[in-house]
Amino acid sequence: MAKHKGRGIATIEYPTGMNQNGDPSQAWVKLKPDGRVDVFSGTVDIGQGSRTVHTQIVADTLGVPFDWVTNDNTNTDSSAVCTGSFASRGTFIGGNAVRFAAEQARERILDIASKELEIAPGDLDIVDGEVVAKGAPDRKIGIPEVAAAATWNYGELITGTGAALKPYADVNNDDGSVELEPHSAISYAACVAEVEVDDETGEVKVERLIQVYDVGRAINPTLVEGQIEGGAMMGLGLGLLEEAYPYYPETDHRGGEFGAYLAPALEDLPDVDNLIIENPSEDGPFGAKAIGEMANNAQPPAIVSAIYDAVGVWVTQLPATPERVLRALDGEKEPRRDGKRVIFDDPVSIRTVSSDGGKGFFETDG
Amino acid sequence: MKAVGARLPRYDGVAHVTGQTQYVDDIRVRGTLWTKALRSPHANAAIKRLDTSKAEALSGVYAIVTHKDVPHNVYGHLEALGIPADEPLLAVDEVRYKGQPIAAVAAVDEDTAREAVDLIEIEYEERAAFFDIRKAMDPDWPNIHQWGPVYPHFGSYNHRRVRKGDIDAAFERADTIVEGVYRPQAIEHCPIEPQTALVVPEANGRLTIYSCTQAMYFSMGVVAAHLQWPLNKLKFVGGTVGGGFGGKVDTASETISALLALKAKRPVKWRWTREEEFLVSSTRAPWHMELADAVTSDGWILGRRMTTLHDAGAYARFSPYGVTKHAFHHTGAYTIPNVHFDGFVVFSNRVPTTAMRGFGVTSVSFAVETHMNRIAEVLGIDPLQLRLKNANRIGDTTPNRVVLKDPSTVPVVLAAADRVGYDLPAEYKSMTNARRSGDLLPEHLVAQLGEPEHSSNGGGR
Repeated sequence: MAKHKGRGIATIEYPTGMNQNGDPSQAWVKLKPDGRVDVFSGTVDIGQGSRTVHTQIVADTLGVPFDWVTNDNTNTDSSAVCTGSFASRGTFIGGNAVRFAAEQARERILDIASKELEIAPGDLDIVDGEVVAKGAPDRKIGIPEVAAAATWNYGELITGTGAALKPYADVNNDDGSVELEPHSAISYAACVAEVEVDDETGEVKVERLIQVYDVGRAINPTLVEGQIEGGAMMGLGLGLLEEAYPYYPETDHRGGEFGAYLAPALEDLPDVDNLIIENPSEDGPFGAKAIGEMANNAQPPAIVSAIYDAVGVWVTQLPATPERVLRALDGEKEPRRDGKRVIFDDPVSIRTVSSDGGKGFFETDG
Repeated sequence: MKAVGARLPRYDGVAHVTGQTQYVDDIRVRGTLWTKALRSPHANAAIKRLDTSKAEALSGVYAIVTHKDVPHNVYGHLEALGIPADEPLLAVDEVRYKGQPIAAVAAVDEDTAREAVDLIEIEYEERAAFFDIRKAMDPDWPNIHQWGPVYPHFGSYNHRRVRKGDIDAAFERADTIVEGVYRPQAIEHCPIEPQTALVVPEANGRLTIYSCTQAMYFSMGVVAAHLQWPLNKLKFVGGTVGGGFGGKVDTASETISALLALKAKRPVKWRWTREEEFLVSSTRAPWHMELADAVTSDGWILGRRMTTLHDAGAYARFSPYGVTKHAFHHTGAYTIPNVHFDGFVVFSNRVPTTAMRGFGVTSVSFAVETHMNRIAEVLGIDPLQLRLKNANRIGDTTPNRVVLKDPSTVPVVLAAADRVGYDLPAEYKSMTNARRSGDLLPEHLVAQLGEPEHSSNGGGR
């Protein structure tokens, strides 16, 4: 009876945006008379920090300090459509909506500044809240002055609207093929889990997670790390602890209270080593892809593979509870072999459990 | 550029950690009524009789709603995507899962509402319930859903299919076929804030709906569809969520609260209990995935056959969408030229399952990645080298015929290896995501190469 160390790896990919697209986000931007910026986007902040990210995108698209920008996402009267905060779409699609809105407002700022400076808009740039003549940096006007001129002299509201929508990609039901790319981008990640398994109690402790994420461009690295670490905790829950039906498919032992349901707590948090790499997307805001949902996908297979590395058994029904680890240690460890077939998990397969071998699931080609 | 790439603090972080953020339950409106629901105690039963008259007579009860009060009771969240509706907002003549709502009461306080629920008279005729989705196609399936054992509307098919290449030839050619079964579980979303809504009827005839939804416009569309109202009569107030993780894509409490508010002509709040959040709110789906991979002794994956069963619970909800997304990603971060995939949405008498972080893909990532490590073990090949060899590269084509533009399997594996000090041979260390050539373009991968489609983004203005 002993404790054994093991290491396992997983590599994953995950799409940005609703599968098959067709999920718009829209936004609008207006300037106050002192040049400060209001952004109205319907993107719900579910804790991922989309309000902060959208504000950053608008600040840099306009060329104004971050703290000039305010985001209102509070209601459907003042905000335009956002399909929702799901499908890892907030930074890319919601972010493109506010970017496009800010680009339009930027053009209006340059138009007004052009009149004030008597320089063509194409010869102007915006730097740190000032409209500056290209090649003649002493000829400039502050955005507060531009906004004031628009309000009090020209009778104009500087505003911009943006809408991001990738067209719906129809799927061919015969073979699953699509004519249009059915996502906005794909992000990738790798996760290495290092575990210690107690072969007497079946307990698994994850000691370290090394996680690498390609997010295209980290608009806010702190928030990306928040996703990576928060996702890792959820991945630990999936891998080792959480289960709505502990004896699935039976429905007994469902719990029904906090204490009956084990979710990871801070004491379960292993050493985490996060690495962000940036392989930019073609058309996300500033090259961003996404992080979001994928952050809890890589740990469960990495953990299960590390358990195998440690004690030589595959636990392929999640979570890998002490009970399941011990049952696996007591059970058949070798796969069944049949000619060139190497068959794992035979006892739980459809062909074993179904009374007719699951014909309806397998005979699908007529 | 200064803001992008900067480690700026979260917009609402200080308010969250100092308790200043206003969540739905923090909002107080004078005269608000409180809600409780009559829910099915059975996993599968016919409703033989429903009588709310004694409950209505209870002092302090302002409104009770049943299916008769819902202008459009059966509405599917994804009807716009061609997924037909199968679920009533309030049960009509049968219940298909434990906890399914049948009626709801608005009363002066939660105790009175609960007392009124207990006074509703109802008779059930219990039926056999069904839980093991592997037996759904068996001859003795107990007829628990009007569409049959599985969702039948993937075009004319009862499953989502992916077919590419010549699967039989790949299995014929393979040196080894590795088969495995993967069963990730149902879990709870466990938000700190349970499902909560506050609906205020305004003097001008509009409804203001304070909601913890993850998707205000989406939820507004759901309420408008049930009420058969135009959008200008509804105002959703939200944008801040006390934990969602996918579970608050479901519009769980808003519509019934709105119906009660309209009937009572008073503000109505419905705050689910922790017990309801655990036992009645939807879960992540349990999945059953069977993989068989045709591989060569030197570690090429020639083909994959996969059958997936997704345990949808009692109604379809978002499950057909989730299975399609799952199908599109069933080869993971690797390029497999010959595939044969069938994915089924299987009904059971479980609480309906729904979106959760990684929807459709968390399951397949678990199956594919565990299977990759098993293949490495069976073949006696390094698991990282197996991944690098079969990795997605620029110009590779996915099973659904998308040509990849900027895949990163190689960079993330190499970065992880470097980080843990994992030794790889020089020819692996020097790999990139560039288009295949030389040793990395064996004959079986030539036909799948394509030119990436560019400038695809969603970008109107």
